[in-house]
Amino acid sequence: MLLIARSELLQIVRNRAVLITSLVMPVAASAFFIYNRDVFSRIGSLGYIAAVLVFTIAAFTLYSTTVTTLAARRQSLFLKRLRSTAASDATILTGLVLPVSVIAVVQVGVILVVFAAVGSAPADGVLAAAAVVATFAMMLALGIATAGVTNSPEHAQVTALPLSLGVIAVASWVGITGTESLTLLKRLLPGGAATELVVSSWNGGAELAATLPLLAVTLAWVVAAIALASRMVRWEPRR
Amino acid sequence: MISSPVIEVDKLDVTYGSFQAVTDLSFHVERGELYALLGTNGAGKTSALEVIEGHRKASSGTVRVLGKSPTDRRGARPRMGIMLQESGFAPDLTVAESVGLIGRLSGRSDSVRRLLDLADLARRADTRVSQLSGGEKRRLDFATAVYGRPELIVLDEPTTGLDIQSRDALWDTVQQLREDGSTVVLTTHYLEEAQQRADRIGLMHNGSLRHEGTVSELTRSLPASIRFSLPPGVPAPPLRWAALADQSFEIETFQLQRDLKQLLDWADAHAVELNALSAAPTRLDDVFRAIEAEPALVS
Repeated sequence: MLLIARSELLQIVRNRAVLITSLVMPVAASAFFIYNRDVFSRIGSLGYIAAVLVFTIAAFTLYSTTVTTLAARRQSLFLKRLRSTAASDATILTGLVLPVSVIAVVQVGVILVVFAAVGSAPADGVLAAAAVVATFAMMLALGIATAGVTNSPEHAQVTALPLSLGVIAVASWVGITGTESLTLLKRLLPGGAATELVVSSWNGGAELAATLPLLAVTLAWVVAAIALASRMVRWEPRR
Repeated sequence: MISSPVIEVDKLDVTYGSFQAVTDLSFHVERGELYALLGTNGAGKTSALEVIEGHRKASSGTVRVLGKSPTDRRGARPRMGIMLQESGFAPDLTVAESVGLIGRLSGRSDSVRRLLDLADLARRADTRVSQLSGGEKRRLDFATAVYGRPELIVLDEPTTGLDIQSRDALWDTVQQLREDGSTVVLTTHYLEEAQQRADRIGLMHNGSLRHEGTVSELTRSLPASIRFSLPPGVPAPPLRWAALADQSFEIETFQLQRDLKQLLDWADAHAVELNALSAAPTRLDDVFRAIEAEPALVS
């Protein structure tokens, strides 16, 4: 697995387009939110900014890059090549998504630490970490699933867009308007409950009993995303 | 002790939806053999090969490779090298990185340097795969297939896009591996390669195995041919001939030596000069054409 991960990391580093999309753009967007934190905290709250930061990294660094990478590797028959070796499917898939997952985790860690330093630290760091991990797991699995219906890296620009923008829109909607109205809908949308978790963990004041249903919905999304990924993963181009 | 076949295919069917790509295919490949699986376009050999390689599941029937299921990667792949029909390498990795990655993932041990020398890619070791020519990519593919000298090597169109020198080098390496005990399964559109190299050949057409055997077994049921032209006004010899054009003739024969001698004796006796004389044994091409034109002709 580490052999595949190493080769994948080399490819990311050597491919400027992927490097800019997965590293530079999300960091630039995050910097914009942090720089304008006073404006965004008036619209929502500091917790809302934290949620948008998490979903920006999850959507662009993790999800979009996963879709693009897997589509590219399948189109070039690299996946078939890897499956000609003794490596199992799980090893191949894990090796391929490991570098981008690590990059995303490091990115979100650094960005949230910077945000905490210049803004405010989360009231409940453990809850914030749990929300980030669950969000990343969901987006990674959805990335693998979306790659199954994506024929090429160019096609990924179309197929990855709805969910990327969708989860950020959900995060903004939930983060700005809260969940007093349309509670069930907002919590059931992908990323809705996770956004509420991040907001609560950052702003504080959330009771354990109130966070458990949010965690349950978020984990349900993780399970659903993994189930989708296992059904939709595709190793060879369509004939 | 009798060794079991390296590959056993029994009543294999492969279907894509309602399309039957392979029907009731059975054959085996013995240890040390070079077995060529040949076929017309759409014959089903790629589908059959993909099942053998473990890339596709059989719709029905059984396939065993080195005594294991071909989908048992941990069991089969360390003993099996696969040269795919299309390259499938990561464009941003270098040649040396690609050989090392695929070789090590295959579970065999070897030296990347040795493989690069073997495939004449040493001077391209640090070149990214995206910058290789088609022939160089085929050589890279071959290098990964023979990494660690596997017991079984599957070569899918190995010489497509290679120049003569590279082809000869590839076949020399294959011969060396065979001398060391490797078994080889080959598909190719270059029939002369199969004719020269294969111990046995399986001929597929329309999804099924039509004929199997050595080159001489496959070609003996079709006649060899003698062609010649006669000067104007000279009557045809007393042999069973067919006219190709004005004063040009073809004799189809299962007794090439006897009929050729008879023709030459006749020409000597009548002081006739045979122009454009050629005598050709039956080739695999002829068997292929016969299968395509009239499946029942060869039996």
